[in-house]
Amino acid sequence: MNHDINIKKLRINCFRQSKVPGEFMLQMRCPGGMIDAKYLSFVQHIAETWGDGSFHIGTRQSLDFCGIKYEDIPAVNAYIRTYIDEIENGVCQVGMEVDEHGYPTIGARNITACIGNHHCICGNINTFELARKIEPLIFPSHYHIKINIAGCPNDCNKAHLCDFGIIGTAKIDYHPERCIGCGACVRACEHGATRVLELNADGRVEKDPCCCVGCAECVKACPAGAWTRRPEPFYRVILGGRTGRQTPRTGKVFLNWASEEVVLAVIGNWHKFSAWVMDYKPEYLHGGHLIDRAGYKKFKELILDGVELNPECLVAEDIYWHETEYRSNFNVKPMRMHHHAGPSNG
Amino acid sequence: MNNPIMPVPCEILSVKQESRHEYTYRVKTDIRPKHGQFLQLSIPKIGEAPISVSGQGDGWLDFTIRSVGKVTNDIFRKRAGDTLFLRGAYGNGWPLEQLAGKHLIFITGGTGLAPVRSLLNHCATDPGFARSVRLIAGFKNEEGIIFAEDLARWQKCFQTTYALDKDEKAGWRTGLVTAFIKEIDFHAFDADYAVLIVGPPVMMKYAGLEAVACGVPEEKIWVSFERKMSCAIGKCGHCRIDETYVCLDGPVFNYQQAKYLVD
Amino acid sequence: MGYLIGKGEDAAFWAKLRQDYDIYAPKRFPKQGRFSDTDIIRYDRVESGAEIVFDEKSDYPAKEVLTPICQAILYFTEDEYRASKASQRPILLFMRPCDIHAMQHQEKIYLENGGVADLYYRRMRERVHIVLMECSEGWDTCFCVSMGTNRVEDYALAVRQTEQGLLFDVREDALKTYFAGQPAADFQPVFVEKNSVSVTVPEIADKELLLKLKEHPFWQQFNGRCESCGACTIACSTCTCFTTRDVIYGDNPAVGERRRVTSSCQVSGFDDMAGGISFRKDAASRMRYKMLHKFRDYKARFGDHHMCVGCGRCTDRCPQFISVTATLEKMAAAVAELSSASK
Repeated sequence: MNHDINIKKLRINCFRQSKVPGEFMLQMRCPGGMIDAKYLSFVQHIAETWGDGSFHIGTRQSLDFCGIKYEDIPAVNAYIRTYIDEIENGVCQVGMEVDEHGYPTIGARNITACIGNHHCICGNINTFELARKIEPLIFPSHYHIKINIAGCPNDCNKAHLCDFGIIGTAKIDYHPERCIGCGACVRACEHGATRVLELNADGRVEKDPCCCVGCAECVKACPAGAWTRRPEPFYRVILGGRTGRQTPRTGKVFLNWASEEVVLAVIGNWHKFSAWVMDYKPEYLHGGHLIDRAGYKKFKELILDGVELNPECLVAEDIYWHETEYRSNFNVKPMRMHHHAGPSNG
Repeated sequence: MNNPIMPVPCEILSVKQESRHEYTYRVKTDIRPKHGQFLQLSIPKIGEAPISVSGQGDGWLDFTIRSVGKVTNDIFRKRAGDTLFLRGAYGNGWPLEQLAGKHLIFITGGTGLAPVRSLLNHCATDPGFARSVRLIAGFKNEEGIIFAEDLARWQKCFQTTYALDKDEKAGWRTGLVTAFIKEIDFHAFDADYAVLIVGPPVMMKYAGLEAVACGVPEEKIWVSFERKMSCAIGKCGHCRIDETYVCLDGPVFNYQQAKYLVD
Repeated sequence: MGYLIGKGEDAAFWAKLRQDYDIYAPKRFPKQGRFSDTDIIRYDRVESGAEIVFDEKSDYPAKEVLTPICQAILYFTEDEYRASKASQRPILLFMRPCDIHAMQHQEKIYLENGGVADLYYRRMRERVHIVLMECSEGWDTCFCVSMGTNRVEDYALAVRQTEQGLLFDVREDALKTYFAGQPAADFQPVFVEKNSVSVTVPEIADKELLLKLKEHPFWQQFNGRCESCGACTIACSTCTCFTTRDVIYGDNPAVGERRRVTSSCQVSGFDDMAGGISFRKDAASRMRYKMLHKFRDYKARFGDHHMCVGCGRCTDRCPQFISVTATLEKMAAAVAELSSASK
């Protein structure tokens, strides 16, 4: 083989180099991991026409096709135009230009999601609908961010191992007039959550709200409907988790009890933050590294710029990547309680 | 409207410690229960619990409660002059007309002695009531012994067998009460007798089976059930066994009925 | 004589009714279900017919109006208990036939058992005027026809929801004035004549058979399957069990209230006595206790009919998908097996 191929350019076009020279793997975005089943015929056609006949579900829930010959890429790109347009513009309202040249920016950092409350009895939120709302904020762009959405604090989708992990939570209301004092919630919390409930001498349940993770296991367990979710969903945002050869780590809580508007507004600031950190020259870097480079305090300033926090929303004053936090979440608090560094403005 | 669950305040006349864990409260009241009936005692923070009457006299009655953990702790802070709340009496009590004039055999396990204490005292003070009294009283261990003074007194007027389940005690036997039932010569009573069994459920079950095995006709055996009760008037459901409400139809049952009462 | 209360023209009608009656009916509580983005339908006070859910079975039964899950029954100070007060206002209670029968079944316990009427039940019951919600189809968990609870003859009002509005059949004279001037309409409620499930409750001939049935191994399947959560009994139209609990106000142990709180024979601790004795220690024995109460014991005590009214709410609410009708079939098979063995 004697090709002259710009593999970096192809990577941005969502074709990844194979160990077989001249072959590439196409990675198609699938925001929230949810598409109509009708696209499976698309998948089959691509794999059987240009690929090696197989199909891989990417680790970030992309649709991956191996064995695509370099010379077939234009034909493949022409064919996937419909898919890109229908998914990105139709389903996700991205409003991007779609032509016969395929993806305009690297799409491998697909927004992943568990099945969420579309199906799961544990899910607090519709995960893929959130993914579809986030998609226009982060794609297409040369600044990358890995976002994982988990429907509940069980975090099956590993929100703790990506730049921005979003976990669906619920604020729970207690209706003592419906409580029979059976302790089912207390046992459920002890067994499956953070042991924040206790049955008191009056046969009523007391809660340590600080350590409640908002999973709603109490709601599921209650035979009498004495615990109910508030109608509006809440989110916990986990920041800076990553894998990698050098410094893998688990993310930490950045926002707790954020509203959907806040989550979207914060993600909307990601470009601005990334661009500032990299002096407006996109690099192939995990978002977590950008946070490290800027420092959390600077990150917080830029990412919350113009964001109006909902009253329930708590923000990490610092991120303690390694320190032992004796009290879980003690550091996640209302912004007015954050300490100020440097000269005072007034 | 009449409120059948309204408790009445009763002044505590005296508090007597029976053993390390047992206290007998004497309260001023006009309630005159039948032997074997029970009352509902109000317990702050808890609600209500059934208690059997362990003694009674003109204008007063005794009940004995055991301090077994937090449930009853607040009660133990009460002193003479304080007020307790009671309602009752409830249940059927012992069928005195079927016991009077007969040889009576009492078989008790642990605190099961409390529901028959007033009847035993009645037998002791009115020797004409029963032809004879035989008492087999078993306790788990020395700490579990209640009514020690009564036991000593009854030793003088009844034929008694006192036993600890496993431990040795001077003048006492060692073993479960069921083991001593066969020592009774039921034939000597000439069919004119009744057996009263009170104690924990397992003890009552096996004592009943043992008595039947010894040839005691089922209709001569009487048992008293203890169950959780929240209302004592047949509403709360806690004491129900099949179609039987222990609070209404019991707590005293003839063995012919009791043998079918499986919770 | 029937009336149509037209949709959109009913504000004055409901306002007038509300002046004199508390109206309780099944109402939707959005997003308050067990799982996220699911609703719950339960009884609550409503302002008008628009709030009433007609086309779905309520998750929780009408009994919650008569016997709230939590109810203050007495208030106490150092030397006195006094009964809680209750409103005198009459209640219009919207109920399906199963709920109306369930109320009558509960009355046997609350008003008759032991020859003593419970004050708290009686004073609520005396306020209730029955509004029959026509139920002509039922749902797949219903078995009212088998339990003989599909028809109701005695009611103050009967109601059917139609496209045009609500059709009422007015039986109680005192209510007729509220309908004066409303358009007349021909309406007689119809009833469910056939459910998709039908059951035959087995006859348990004698106490010996009952003892054997209690020990039958088929109950064991509920160990490991039933979670003993009690959701079935909370959702049950006929369960009455409660616990009494004293609550102290603040830090003064001499002042507080006595509450009646719904309890469940399915929840561990229901039969616990001081000293650590309990009787039904596993899910199997608790399930057996409940099933026999619904399909034998109640009838054995009160005579006329079984306790269960076939509303199917226990099946609907069971988080482990235990069906009461399937369980009853298993029980019937066990009874048949034991009966033939003893012949």
